[in-house]
Amino acid sequence: MNTVLSRANSLFAFSLSVMAALTFGCFVTTAFKDRRVPVDIHVSKVMLKNVDDFTGPRERSDLGFLTFDISADLEPIFDWNVKQLFLYLSAEYATKSNSLNQVVLWDRIVLRGENTKLNLRDMKSKYFFFDDGNGLRSNKNVTLTLSWNVVPNAGILPLVAGSGHISLPFPDQYEATKSY
Amino acid sequence: MLSIFKSIPTHMDYKGQKLAEQIFQGIILISAVIGFVYGLIIQQFGWTVYIVLAGFAVSCLLTLPPWPMYRRNPLPWQPVVSEASGEPNQKPQDNIKRKKHK
Repeated sequence: MNTVLSRANSLFAFSLSVMAALTFGCFVTTAFKDRRVPVDIHVSKVMLKNVDDFTGPRERSDLGFLTFDISADLEPIFDWNVKQLFLYLSAEYATKSNSLNQVVLWDRIVLRGENTKLNLRDMKSKYFFFDDGNGLRSNKNVTLTLSWNVVPNAGILPLVAGSGHISLPFPDQYEATKSY
Repeated sequence: MLSIFKSIPTHMDYKGQKLAEQIFQGIILISAVIGFVYGLIIQQFGWTVYIVLAGFAVSCLLTLPPWPMYRRNPLPWQPVVSEASGEPNQKPQDNIKRKKHK
């Protein structure tokens, strides 16, 4: 403490320690918060095709197309320890070969300060809903869930499933593939 | 040129060093408490960081330069002993040594 540099050193170290303690305090104030909100998912159209899956073993696989609506109010999730939300819509279903299949159909990043009222109409899925076989045809229980990762300033990265999922049946017939 | 810089007093006395440490710790802790409460109320952690940084800047200004208030308790040094009166001063030291040996 007898020179300017040694005082600067201890001042800087003390400030950093205090800042670390505050960051931990920020995490503690939000660690036990329930970040589930109700989500309303509605599927308006389901289409099923049987197409060549060039990534797989050169067989025809089921490809689903969904048109869906999502509405949710994400405002209660945001607080001072949330930087952004990563929302994703996933489909879960069981087939003969796999007891659990999970396919991510759509995602979106909601930054802090952006519009938190989610009101989406007639959305097409962003990613292909490919089954690895023929498990989608006449599958009566395909569950769509909107989940989100909460990206924090400090602390754990919670993965939350929104309450309110929808279960939908897939058709028994393939859509006729048009040839041009 | 260098002698000008050397003539600027840069030291703090012992009590001044203690005072400087207490001042910067107090300022940073108070700004941390204020920043935490304010950030919690408005739900913006960025403001907590800004307020702590402001406390850091203020305490840098107050305690890094050796202000005169940190030099109010100079150490009472022995007066400089001239060469001529050197011999009488050595005698008390010899006495002390003898006492220890007893």
